Amino acid sequence: MSDGIRFPTREPVDFVIIGSGAAGGVLAKELATSGFDVVVLEQGPYLRPSEFSHDELDVIFNNAYSGGTSGDFPQTYRQKETERAEVAGFPAAYYARMVGGSSVHYSANFWRLRPLDFNERSRLGAIPGTGFADWPLTYEELEPYYTKVDWEIGVSGAPGPFDPPRSKPYPVPPMPLKSSGALLEQGAKKLGLHAQPAPVAILSQPHNGRPACIHCGFCMGFGCEANAKSSTLATMIPLAEATGHCEIRPLSTVYKLETDADGRVSDVLYFDAKGASQGQKAKAVILAANGAETPRLLLASESSRFPDGLANSSGKVGKYLMFNSHSSANAMFEHELNEYKSIQCTRIIQDFYESDSKRDFYGGGVIDARPFLSATPIFYALNGLPPDTPTWGPEFKRALSEGFTRRLSILGSGTSLARESNSISLDPELKDRHGRPALRVTYEDHPDDLALAAFLQDRCVELMEAAGASKIWRDPVEVQSITAHLLGTCRMGDDPQESVVDRDHRSHDVPNLFICDGSSLVTSGRGQPTMTIQALAFRAADRIREFSKNNEI
Amino acid sequence: MQQQTKTRRDFLLASAGLVGGGWLAANWPGVAEAAKAAGAARAEGATFRNLEPRDAADLEAIAAQIIPDDDSPGATEAGVVYFMDTALGSVFAGQAAGLAAGLADLNAKVVAMDADADRFAGLDPAKQTELLRAEESSAFFGGVRFMTLCGFLAMPAYGGNRNHLGWDLIGFDHRHAWQPPFGYYDAKATGKGDGNV
Repeated sequence: MSDGIRFPTREPVDFVIIGSGAAGGVLAKELATSGFDVVVLEQGPYLRPSEFSHDELDVIFNNAYSGGTSGDFPQTYRQKETERAEVAGFPAAYYARMVGGSSVHYSANFWRLRPLDFNERSRLGAIPGTGFADWPLTYEELEPYYTKVDWEIGVSGAPGPFDPPRSKPYPVPPMPLKSSGALLEQGAKKLGLHAQPAPVAILSQPHNGRPACIHCGFCMGFGCEANAKSSTLATMIPLAEATGHCEIRPLSTVYKLETDADGRVSDVLYFDAKGASQGQKAKAVILAANGAETPRLLLASESSRFPDGLANSSGKVGKYLMFNSHSSANAMFEHELNEYKSIQCTRIIQDFYESDSKRDFYGGGVIDARPFLSATPIFYALNGLPPDTPTWGPEFKRALSEGFTRRLSILGSGTSLARESNSISLDPELKDRHGRPALRVTYEDHPDDLALAAFLQDRCVELMEAAGASKIWRDPVEVQSITAHLLGTCRMGDDPQESVVDRDHRSHDVPNLFICDGSSLVTSGRGQPTMTIQALAFRAADRIREFSKNNEI
Repeated sequence: MQQQTKTRRDFLLASAGLVGGGWLAANWPGVAEAAKAAGAARAEGATFRNLEPRDAADLEAIAAQIIPDDDSPGATEAGVVYFMDTALGSVFAGQAAGLAAGLADLNAKVVAMDADADRFAGLDPAKQTELLRAEESSAFFGGVRFMTLCGFLAMPAYGGNRNHLGWDLIGFDHRHAWQPPFGYYDAKATGKGDGNV
């Protein structure tokens, strides 16, 4: 628990921010440093870097940071709207419940979008059966905020041949090359492709009073005990609290937004650490609970005035869910790579970013090399060996002893088309431990997304061959039922019939409700959304400050 | 032998501890603290806290089939069965009955196979292998395999992976800090050393 300021619940604070993750952390810092009183309600605990460990059993298999796989926070999943959703053993919408949110446990790949990601619909035309649309913003409008992310959050990197324009260089140089990156470079060179240093929100050198990465290797799924990973826990939250204007209130699970007679949000109802119901009054509310929990809360906040859920006159709350398309292949090499050391990803290939009319599907993506699920021992033993390996006995043991240090994965990450049928909704039967309807995920990749995934996987395999792999195997290309990318479910737009928030993240329906997180994205980008979510959050804070100054909230 | 799980969903589910059926998965959350406390309290060679000695002998024999102690230490030397004992005494307590039933089923097959043996641990190794080959698709075997891998590769504080034997086998060196070069190929690419890292 923080030792800082406490605000009374019955007097309205300037802003209640729901969620302390990638977006919520940025908004809290920006508004608190401007002198606004801010209460951040976070459903997870407030852990300190010294509490993070390399305990794979606890962190990965016990889901220590995502609330456990037990019945406390069940989710259901189905592919199609016509199906009955089933309880997913592993959460379909996978995110961290803790102060800092998923920015604590992510791998920290930080790719900017490019100009085309914002206006691709205009450039390519409509795609029937989808909600493919332009953003109400341009890259040029967002660029200053990407630069803010680079410098304030802390991004390591170096320019690449296909990068969009940037107004300022990276604050710190790229992370040191790993063997996966060296092999990707080798393969790319042979194939005439371009490998470039991967931009990551992990510090290669000290910056803003934080230390450089010590290459311990426990990034994906783990918290950084060195404070080198640029989570909002490490970067924004301490600055917000230092103002004396921001209270981080952990273990506070918001279940309803109450509106007053004017249709404005007035009270944020939540369960406290003991499960007791509380209400925090607010002059304005910023919802930043992620692309799954944000629409869930809006839908659960239905009332006689808002019968389809709050902020949902468009009917688009929860719709157009996008995961990013994904595919992967794996390889063994003759010598040791030791991918268990250092960060996940040090080189990326952007040659296939743009959609290409010569291909018979929409979409583009980025390729990178990394240990992926085999960065840690148990995960490796369960998933890391080729499918033709015996699963027990002397041959299994021999394979187990040889693979860990010699394997890598190459991933293709890319576009998802927005489909209205892909959604977050409330499960009609299942309840969570607070009695709230469980989160229901409906998702089936668009055929073009699967075609793109297969296309990128072929490129991954070619790269492995060109890099001299001794053995290569593919993971299946199929409909995704688990994701850490939760995008598009309260999309921004100028048309209140077609979008949930306007270009400034204000609800079209509720003037003092702002929504800013992965749900705001109109298109999915090519695979790594967090940097864009944070650029949007910095921009939203600027707009909200302006509105507040002009008495326009 | 059975191939590893194939689909992306399957391997993620497997990773989440759901391989091998519900008896193992249902009460996974919470294992960490309880198991760690128990594991830390146990000295090497101590008696079992939760397993019947004969069940422990069978589980140890199965684990030894999965990761044999041959020219390098395997499941037995790494103390995998102590991890199992620890886990079954904490969050898997509710599953102990299911495990015992699985073992009883297996031992019924042992008796049918060899009149001289009444327990799996008493079968000669070739017959153990033969029997497990017939069982390798079962939830019981999947569950024991999952626990064996966890016991072999989890932090030693949980009772298994003694003296880091599991980590040593796969080449995982658990340090909190590294410096480049990390591996052969980056060393070569950056001209740092001859790739001997």
